Amino acid sequence: MKQKFLKKQDLKIFVEALAATYSVYYPKKNRQGNFHLVPFSEGVDGAALGGVRPFEPLKNFFFRCREKVVDGYEKSEKAPANSKRPYCVMGVKNCDLHGMRIQDFVFTEGDFKDPFYIKNREENLIIASDCTTAIPTCFCHALEVPHYPEKGYDILMSELSSGYLVEEGTDRGAKFLKRNDGIFNEAAEMHIEERDHIRRHAGEKVEANIAEHGIPRRTEFGDIIKVNLDSPIWETEVKACVECGSCNAVCPTCHCFYLSDSEENGNKEVRYKMWDACMYKRFAHVAGGANARPHLWMRLRNRFEKKFDFFPQVAGIYACTGCGRCYSGCPGKIDIRRVLKNLVAEKNGKKHE
Amino acid sequence: MNNPYCPVKGKIIDIKEETSNIKTFRLNLDKNISFKTGQFIELTVPGIGEAPFTPSSNPKIEDTMDVTIMKVGRVTEILHGLKPGDEIAVRGPYGMGYPLKEFEGKEILIVGGGVGLAPLRSLILALLNDRKKYKKLVVKYGSRTPKDIVYKDLLREWANNKDMELEITVDAGDETWKGNVGLITTLIKRDMGVDVKNSVAIVCGPPIMMKFSTFKLIDIGYEPRHIYLSMEKNMSCGIGKCGHCRIGPYYACKDGPVFTYDKISGLHGIWE
Ligand SMILES: Cc1cc2nc3c(=O)[nH]c(=O)nc-3n(C[C@H](O)[C@H](O)[C@H](O)COP(=O)(O)OP(=O)(O)OC[C@H]3O[C@@H](n4cnc5c(N)ncnc54)[C@H](O)[C@@H]3O)c2cc1C
Ligand code: SF4
Ligand code: SF4
Ligand code: FES
Repeated sequence: MKQKFLKKQDLKIFVEALAATYSVYYPKKNRQGNFHLVPFSEGVDGAALGGVRPFEPLKNFFFRCREKVVDGYEKSEKAPANSKRPYCVMGVKNCDLHGMRIQDFVFTEGDFKDPFYIKNREENLIIASDCTTAIPTCFCHALEVPHYPEKGYDILMSELSSGYLVEEGTDRGAKFLKRNDGIFNEAAEMHIEERDHIRRHAGEKVEANIAEHGIPRRTEFGDIIKVNLDSPIWETEVKACVECGSCNAVCPTCHCFYLSDSEENGNKEVRYKMWDACMYKRFAHVAGGANARPHLWMRLRNRFEKKFDFFPQVAGIYACTGCGRCYSGCPGKIDIRRVLKNLVAEKNGKKHE
Repeated sequence: MNNPYCPVKGKIIDIKEETSNIKTFRLNLDKNISFKTGQFIELTVPGIGEAPFTPSSNPKIEDTMDVTIMKVGRVTEILHGLKPGDEIAVRGPYGMGYPLKEFEGKEILIVGGGVGLAPLRSLILALLNDRKKYKKLVVKYGSRTPKDIVYKDLLREWANNKDMELEITVDAGDETWKGNVGLITTLIKRDMGVDVKNSVAIVCGPPIMMKFSTFKLIDIGYEPRHIYLSMEKNMSCGIGKCGHCRIGPYYACKDGPVFTYDKISGLHGIWE
């Protein structure tokens, strides 16, 4: 299809059209200058499709932090139909799209599939956007994740100075655009040129971060976990950790959960699926008191092992997208960029920080 | 699409007290769940929670299922308070089970500790179903004290069964005990009459018991790939999604819970 152009002032009409079908969320910059996803109610004032990833990872919409998965054993034998309105998430960045590859691998592949995740994922509309800048915590390129979306979206809407360059990604996206064709103009050559310019500029910022912090690249990651299993790095790095689990919660690839049963209004056949965090001590505790990871440093090692060793082995992809959220959200400021740098340095027999 | 988190309803139809903190529950489920020996189930106490257990009954029996449960925490405590007729629910079976095909023509050494004899009971019953396929069946069982021995009637029966050899030991005896005293490892010996080179060893029990039994088996000449161990890790989903049971590149729930030692020997945290 031909690329389209949406004028800035027409964003509201576009979002209203989306809201007829979807429960729409878009990113907005708060006073501290951070992006957060907010639900669309009336206006789109302050909507920022460009910028960088919002604080909330995209997984929230599909792998929900608390979801009822059983409500009556007989009734729930088949996964219940989703009664909620489907979501439309706007301004999704490539690091989040990439994170969904891990979520998809976990919940939609293998002998058992998660019908709740699949249902949630099926009916939504993902509107991705280019990053128009980078913040110091962005290091996606180190993971070979580009800072602009390539696939995995329904519609791509790249923010320009006077509007948005719009492209379809899937049939669902194309259909929506076609139905609302009247809102758009044809994209001009200068719009494409402007986007390419912004892309180049944002890419340079990510590269500058990587250079400034000496962040190693994926090609240097081979075996960093295996050779560092007993490295002192883990204990040094984990010192400031307060075991809050934020790093797990904000990570677009973390997928761990537990099933929790309860009684609700006299109904005992209730089960929730809730996020869990591998940084919690009880995560690997077994009855009788044994624990495969009794010490905090072992749990930090485990988190890295899962991302940089387990997933490459079983799924052929790293479960880190370089989004930097685990660092931004960490009260102890445990910096994944520094941990990676030290692990690589240690592997190469160099002194670390 | 089927909901893998939803259990099938059932009832407890019989409870047998094995020791002061171990009971065997006979379950009758609304839909038969047939399992392969070594696979496990998630047993739910409605409104309270679920926990993984390995059925201890003969997999050939399809209309009931036995699970032998030690009282150790929140869910098992409540399970122990249940009565025949009470409702439970079950998901599964999950995991790979014992590869019986690979055991054919071999001398089979089974090493159990404590409540670890539960899954092994199901295995032994399954082996006895087709006893001719296996060359020899040797069972070694260790318990802390004579009072902690499970399946006392069945063990008496097995002691007189010509199709198998059974030896029992306790860590500490009492006035009534006339048998072996010593750790389970004292029963694993070069001269125990097993042709180690044509044998597989299957071990299940508390982590520390599995660790030292494995080392002893290696010591007397077993190859790591012929030693089968049960990795009872923290589990929630049982289906390779929740992330709890990971060891190295495996999820114990879906790639195990039984692993040969060669697959896991280099990984950390396997004995805890
Ligand atoms: C494959 C496998 C087979 C097993 N077979 C047997 C067997 O045949 N016989 C036997 O006696 N034991 C067996 N076990 C051990 C048995 O699973 C534990 O004894 C049991 O889980 C203890 O549960 P508990 O709640 O009583 O103990 P607790 O110590 O209270 O809890 C144990 C675990 O349950 C989890 N848990 C706590 N609350 C909840 C909740 N609300 N919802 C969900 N999970 C929660 C916790 O994370 C904790 O790790 C097996 C374990 C595995 C992994
Ligand atoms: S966010 Fe930081 S303090 Fe919290 S658990 Fe993770 S590493 Fe520890
Ligand atoms: S590990 Fe940290 S940087 Fe990597 S994807 Fe997760 S939150 Fe982002
Ligand atoms: S128990 Fe959930 S992944 Fe194994």
